[in-house]
Amino acid sequence: MSAPLATPELDEDVDLLAAPLEPWQVVVWNDPVNLMSYVVRVFRTYFGYSQERATQLMLAVHNEGHAIVATGPRETMEVHAQAMHDYGLWATVRKAPL
Amino acid sequence: MSARPVRMRIAPVERLQLRRLVQDLCKLIGPGIDPEDPAVARLTPNPYPDDSDAARDFRSGTRGDLLARRAADAGIVSAAVAGVADEPDSWAEETALVEEVLEIPAAEVDAWMRTLTAIRLVIATRLGIVDEEDHDPDDARFGVYDWLGYRLEMLIQAAEDQSG
Repeated sequence: MSAPLATPELDEDVDLLAAPLEPWQVVVWNDPVNLMSYVVRVFRTYFGYSQERATQLMLAVHNEGHAIVATGPRETMEVHAQAMHDYGLWATVRKAPL
Repeated sequence: MSARPVRMRIAPVERLQLRRLVQDLCKLIGPGIDPEDPAVARLTPNPYPDDSDAARDFRSGTRGDLLARRAADAGIVSAAVAGVADEPDSWAEETALVEEVLEIPAAEVDAWMRTLTAIRLVIATRLGIVDEEDHDPDDARFGVYDWLGYRLEMLIQAAEDQSG
């Protein structure tokens, strides 16, 4: 077998393992003010969710009191939470439970 | 999303009402803002209720920006409802109540929705609304609150119809 033209940089793998990506979540909480149609629209237009997915999430917020609407790196989740606050939705950021 | 404007039918008396409400909102979040005011707190929620250090860091970094975006949104609505005579007493009743078409550019629809929502959140805080059943027919502020909800619902429907 011939040797590969380039050998992988093993150090990079080690670096990735040293800094695992911890998932964070954006949670939207129920409130008595925001209209159901509005919440669906915000989820659909901001996150790009389908009408069905956005409706599911809205119903989860309404019936269960809250729903996880996004998961990912902390910085990204904070940006999403700010956008939710702009829309008047009550959103919090938390580390995903292990 | 379509780039077509959204059409809203609104009477002069409603435009005047809306203009005053937006002015109140701008005053609330403008210079002299009281961060302890529950309505202000509701407009700038704490994303880290269980972590006061993270909450402080987040708020100090983002609160001003959020309020600036709110003010910009309110300015868009304010400009759209400006130009209404400020003396409703001088209006003939038929003029004050006849609906006119207000065209909202597609790019400004979200600013409208966010602003109507913000005003509803402020009124709800003042009224102490904690669940959907809270209502007092003798309190005129509930009338304003319901009217804003109706306006928002109509706007959402019109926007959905436009985007097909």
